[in-house]
Amino acid sequence: MEVKVLTKHYDKPEYRSLEGYKKYGGYEVLKKALGMKPEEIVAQVKEAGLRGRGGAGFPTGVKWGFLPNNGEPRYLVCNADEGEPGTFKDRMMMEKAPHQLIEGMLISAYAIQSKKSYIYIRGEYMEPYRIVEKAIQEAYDAGFLGKNILGSGFDHDMDVYRGAGAYICGEETALLSSLEGKKGQPKLKPPFPAVEGYLRKPTIVNNVETLAAVVTIVKDGPKEYRKYGTEKSPGTKIFSVSGNVLKPGNYEVPLGYPLKDLIYNLCGGLKPGRQLKAVIPGGSSAPVLTAEEAERATLDYECLAEMKSMLGSGAVIVIDDSNCMVDLLKVIMHFYHHESCGQCTPCREGTGWLDKIVGSIYKGEGRLQDIQLVEQVSKHMMGRTICALSDAAAMPAISFVQKFRSEFEFYVREGRSKVKEVIANA
Amino acid sequence: MLKCKINGVEVEVKEGTTIIEAFKIAGQKIAHYCWHPGLSVAGVCRLCMVEIKGQPRLQIACNTPVQDGMEITNQSEQVKETVRWGLDFHLINHPLDCPICDQAGECGLQDQYMEFGLYTPEMAEPKVKKHKVVDLGSKIVLDTERCILCSRCVRFTAEVTKTYELGIFNRGDRSEIGTFENKPLENNYALNTVDICPVGALTSKDFRFRQRVWYLQERESICTGCSTGCNIKIYFNEEGLFRIRPVYNEKVNGYWMCDEGRNIYKFVNKENRLLKAKKGRKGEWLEMEGGAAAKDVAHHFKSLDKERIALVVTGQFSNEEYEALFQFYKKNVGNDFVYHWINNKESFEDFDGLLLRGDRNPNTKGLLQKLEDYRYEQTWAHLEENLKAGKIETLIVAGPENPLWFPDLKEKVQQWGIQLSHLIWLSSAKVQAVDEVECLTWQIPLKTFFEKDGTYVNYQGLEQKSHRIATIVPGALSLSEAAHLMAGEEYKVDMAPILKGPKKNYYVHRRGYL
Repeated sequence: MEVKVLTKHYDKPEYRSLEGYKKYGGYEVLKKALGMKPEEIVAQVKEAGLRGRGGAGFPTGVKWGFLPNNGEPRYLVCNADEGEPGTFKDRMMMEKAPHQLIEGMLISAYAIQSKKSYIYIRGEYMEPYRIVEKAIQEAYDAGFLGKNILGSGFDHDMDVYRGAGAYICGEETALLSSLEGKKGQPKLKPPFPAVEGYLRKPTIVNNVETLAAVVTIVKDGPKEYRKYGTEKSPGTKIFSVSGNVLKPGNYEVPLGYPLKDLIYNLCGGLKPGRQLKAVIPGGSSAPVLTAEEAERATLDYECLAEMKSMLGSGAVIVIDDSNCMVDLLKVIMHFYHHESCGQCTPCREGTGWLDKIVGSIYKGEGRLQDIQLVEQVSKHMMGRTICALSDAAAMPAISFVQKFRSEFEFYVREGRSKVKEVIANA
Repeated sequence: MLKCKINGVEVEVKEGTTIIEAFKIAGQKIAHYCWHPGLSVAGVCRLCMVEIKGQPRLQIACNTPVQDGMEITNQSEQVKETVRWGLDFHLINHPLDCPICDQAGECGLQDQYMEFGLYTPEMAEPKVKKHKVVDLGSKIVLDTERCILCSRCVRFTAEVTKTYELGIFNRGDRSEIGTFENKPLENNYALNTVDICPVGALTSKDFRFRQRVWYLQERESICTGCSTGCNIKIYFNEEGLFRIRPVYNEKVNGYWMCDEGRNIYKFVNKENRLLKAKKGRKGEWLEMEGGAAAKDVAHHFKSLDKERIALVVTGQFSNEEYEALFQFYKKNVGNDFVYHWINNKESFEDFDGLLLRGDRNPNTKGLLQKLEDYRYEQTWAHLEENLKAGKIETLIVAGPENPLWFPDLKEKVQQWGIQLSHLIWLSSAKVQAVDEVECLTWQIPLKTFFEKDGTYVNYQGLEQKSHRIATIVPGALSLSEAAHLMAGEEYKVDMAPILKGPKKNYYVHRRGYL
């Protein structure tokens, strides 16, 4: 069953406006939060065990705790550059409930004592951008933003910044470079953004869903929040399901929910006559799961990590037996080749190389050693670069080749796809 | 101080030292391209990977500070394999056009492949095509295919010159270094980017295709281009001098030098030199050896009216030479008509904020000190007055080493030619105007800084010694030698070795006879 905590009122069209949002208890939590001490909120978020929903799953409260107490101005940045292929939950959240995000940001900003925040929104998201802009204006007009919010003495300003369509700008330091007006390229860490981020000031970057979840944590308390989910992955999460299911879309389920149930119950299963072949559980950069693994998997950070994959941004891509894995890997490799920022050599050259090798196989010009080469190149791209894009390209490559080696070998030997033949004969 | 172990070698380093610096201190080899001690850390080539005991992940040495007790190695199989692959990533799209590349012989890719690579490449795909022979301005040519995008040059223009001409355009393996439209790379420090470019991507128009670097010798010296006195390395062979590069000196120039300074090698080469001593006047020159001409001056000196002699000196010579010249003048002439010829007076005090100073003489400070020691206090106006009044008949001029920086040279020489009856012209440079004077003239060829030992005092008052390297013009004298000979003393002129050619193209010739 779906558990609607964040998305409870998403079916109501008026929830998008300030009026509608207030009707369902909107901005009441902000009032409560402003009455609390900032440290209390941080402690609650820590206690709730909220983990970043953008992909890495880093505990949010711990991240906030990294801020140095040096009197420097602090910034809060909402990462709405939802670029991971397969992910479309932030878009829905911004379109359906922009005020939920704003309220979450305000509470978080108060908790970390930041006077200025930015929403860095993906360049292609024109509609969400308009909606969020409008919502911010409404919030300003209603006194939820600006000076002395709700008479609490807390000042806060919020701005929206549009990206220009680069996947890499979803990486937090690249996002900050872009926000600073530079080329969107990741920065060397350390220093981490919490210490030296936007304009070299302490900065917290959180995902849309993470910030929205802060509202529910402060509203109901950490205990209530921990009611759902597992010990190490508490709470609910929105999963964007796409691919070969009958009802693709966003589904909010508690963490730890069986992947099988998500596919077969909530999403209506596969097309009649089709078999499950593989599932990418966390966006295109997550290593692929075979059908057998997918049957066993639960949607939480621990289980997927154990299966050497990851929960990532919660983009579940379901693949049935009508798809050729060589074809899919080619598309994924092309994506990372196109999106590598070009800063670090292993990624810049490696993504291009992988794209070309897989491309050669796809064209029927592959050599048997190319399959091993894909593994080797990928292996040496992992953990070698400033950011994780290199790993993001290498992980699917290795997992595709290792788990579907026979399909790749067939393609190399015969120069054509095994799957297409199966389909044609069926 | 922190103690750490680098490949088993224990070293002590200061707080805040990065691991790569510790490697250099320990004398251990480490692969790297993007790191440069004079620039910020980019951490993009990912070659300086090291293994730190107790840390599962490899770290880049350039951005990791040393901590007390750290045990660091780059000798483990894991690191070696990572570096081999790192080099392979650098080379898969590199054109490998070494035979026609000017960097060959001093290329980071070649050197580090031999040191850390030596693998069999696996790349079988077509390489990325990029722009070739990109004209970045009047001084530099770029080949973007050879570029490994270490971003040293970009950081140089951003951090050192703060002119921001260069940038990396596009993304991924389509990335290219480039300049913005109508904004060529023309700053006066641009050629430093050629030096720091580890590959053949940036090449100097002045040097490219003129010599293979393995045919060049290199020796350190001092730049005589201005009063900063940058430490330099001169690249030369029997055909002459070919280029100059900076040498690190924390007190003087750091890692850099200006492009104007790099041009000083041109006036050391034969084509811009006074090759033979001459005596006579316009149209009637008698060529002789330098020593013979100086002796002839000595012989002639007795008949000159000592009260009507004056001496003009420039800031282009070494302390030792000024001493010898003033000694000669004091003993043989005795008056105090000694004048300091200040070139480009208007811009004399200028400073570009980095290295280049308006005073385009290597030793103005040394000269001023010597003038003070000898109590020569006459002003230039005094000379002009006396010349006009006809009180001076003979002028001894210790002229410029590099005539380029004497804008008033022609005008002054022409004027003296009319006003004087005798001119004793001591200079290393070929000056057309001197060949056209009407008065009786001795032209005595001098040695340049490349051919003599000497001490120069830079603008800070720092004394730097420059050593002779080789002889370009046989028979040229140093100013001291000229002074001793003009005084009529018996004096043995010493000469730096004349370069003999290496057996160039030895193998080519050999094969021809097979």
